[in-house]
Amino acid sequence: MRITQAFRLALRTLIRNPLRSFFMMLGITVGIASLTAMASLGAATRQETLRQFKRMVGTYDVINIVPGAASTRGMPSLTTVEPSLKFSDAAAIADEADGVLQVAEVQNAFDIDVKYRDKTTVSAIYGISANWLEMRSYFIETGDVITQEDIAGVARVAVIGQDIVTGLFANENPLGKQVRIGNVPFQVKGVLVSRGAGPGGSSLDGVIFIPVTTASRRLFNRDYLTTITAQLENPQRPEPAIESIKAVLRERHGIIPPGEDDFTISDSRANAEQVAEVSSTLGTILTGVAVIAMIIGGTVIMSLMLIAVSERRREIGVRRAVGATRRDVMMQFLIEAATVSVIGGLAGIALGTGGAVLTAIRQDLPPVLLWNVIGIAVVVSVGIGLVFGLQPAWKAANIDPIDALSS
Amino acid sequence: MIEVENLEKTYRRGDGTPVRALKDITFSIDEGEFVTVRGASGSGKSSLLNILGCLDTPTSGVYRLGGEDVSGYSDEQRSRLRCRRIGFVFQTFNLLPRTTALENVEVPALYRGGHIDVDKARALLDRVGLGERSGHFVTELSGGEQQRVAIARALMNDPPLLLADEPTGNLDSAAGRSIMQLLSELHAEGRTIILVTHDEPTAAYAQRELLIRDGVIATDRRQSASQTATEQARR
Repeated sequence: MRITQAFRLALRTLIRNPLRSFFMMLGITVGIASLTAMASLGAATRQETLRQFKRMVGTYDVINIVPGAASTRGMPSLTTVEPSLKFSDAAAIADEADGVLQVAEVQNAFDIDVKYRDKTTVSAIYGISANWLEMRSYFIETGDVITQEDIAGVARVAVIGQDIVTGLFANENPLGKQVRIGNVPFQVKGVLVSRGAGPGGSSLDGVIFIPVTTASRRLFNRDYLTTITAQLENPQRPEPAIESIKAVLRERHGIIPPGEDDFTISDSRANAEQVAEVSSTLGTILTGVAVIAMIIGGTVIMSLMLIAVSERRREIGVRRAVGATRRDVMMQFLIEAATVSVIGGLAGIALGTGGAVLTAIRQDLPPVLLWNVIGIAVVVSVGIGLVFGLQPAWKAANIDPIDALSS
Repeated sequence: MIEVENLEKTYRRGDGTPVRALKDITFSIDEGEFVTVRGASGSGKSSLLNILGCLDTPTSGVYRLGGEDVSGYSDEQRSRLRCRRIGFVFQTFNLLPRTTALENVEVPALYRGGHIDVDKARALLDRVGLGERSGHFVTELSGGEQQRVAIARALMNDPPLLLADEPTGNLDSAAGRSIMQLLSELHAEGRTIILVTHDEPTAAYAQRELLIRDGVIATDRRQSASQTATEQARR
């Protein structure tokens, strides 16, 4: 018997026993549906989490070096950090550390009063290098960025976020206007594109960027940094660069083992993966549920096939009498089990993917079609049919035709 | 066509005691013969039929089918023999349920290899007088019609030997007569037919009768030409 003939025979048998076929498929359908739904919803959640994280931290290919040991909590600020990271440290990392493309300096403080005419607001002030905005994926809506000339000239210019625009400039164009940060006058040079809300739901737009030199010498009067941002050559494998930076800083700070680092290096990608990982743990549990459902589905196929073999003893006897070999009978029942399983699996894929896409749309997640998961689901359902069909098929093949015909 | 020499078949009962179903049977059947096998139940008739039909193997002795010693054949070899050389007709028809007449006739072709000649299956249904009923499910057919479908199925792979086990046993006398008439026609076309029956009038269609009793051939009787006149007249 050819495989195609066995397949057609299986389809015919399944169509003519619709109720039995339905119950055989049910378990597999439920299992595969939950598997595909979990996988694609999990992927959608993960993608969305990473996307949000990326929006908050900018790009992934940078790492941040902040002063103090890892136990230091919260966002670094001039008032809370140790004065251990110097401008010269940043320059040394750029010159000496391996795998570092470029380095930016940051000196920041929070809750600084900013005034324009009779209006006052509070803002986070970031003194930055000219390359920082681009490294962290901040974009200018109108006006211009902080330039190298601004840095060199210790210019009193500012690039402001959308919250500052709404706080100080009701209907006015802020470009070229003079604001007072602390008591130092700055000219508004550019306005940032909004970044939306941050991790806790608070706005990311209450910021003002000024040249780091101006911040250090004219505003804060401090010579240490709150953050050094480094862009890596190979962000997929940041560890060597991180080790190299550590070595440079430890040497400069005169730290010898067993002394601990007086700085902390945070890898934003690792943080993002960690956040995404939390949601995928749930996915793993639900995948386990799907696997159990499929094992149950396979067992249902096996028991219904075993019953079918007993009921069809006479059919098997006739087929053997007219020339079917044991292999023919075995193949017929195996292919029947695989066919019912794969049809159940396809129904499950349709249900699961459809359900996942609908749920994703309702929860404003990007709908994700995972072709590899669909492929795996097909292979898994064929496999379940073959594995759980094996014993019934073996039993069918070994029925003695004389017994079967005389019963 | 068939040569049987010193054929023995011994079964073991559940408690291990051996039962000699066939004892030293020797006979031969020529190509084109129409032979009746008669015997009471327990006579060994079924055991002989199972061996002749290559469903079973003898304990000892030789069974030659078409000159080929098949007594030691494996299960797979016997399956292939049944497929190409033997057509079975059963007392209970043994058609597949939930299957049309045409699909039943096609079944032996599945195991022959190659594609299924649907036109041939249709022609066979025509031949047994069921051309217009090919699409009917077997449950929609009368007993006589079901047996005709079974005969068409037995002919699908053009076997030289037909084994009919009480083919009229489950039919009323009119349907039984028409089935016997069909078998006579097939014999007239040159097929070798072995027919198991209890029924005297049915046995009268054949030229030769083997009577089995207690595992041996009690009589081997050839009927005179006059006795088969009814059958001859149909040629």
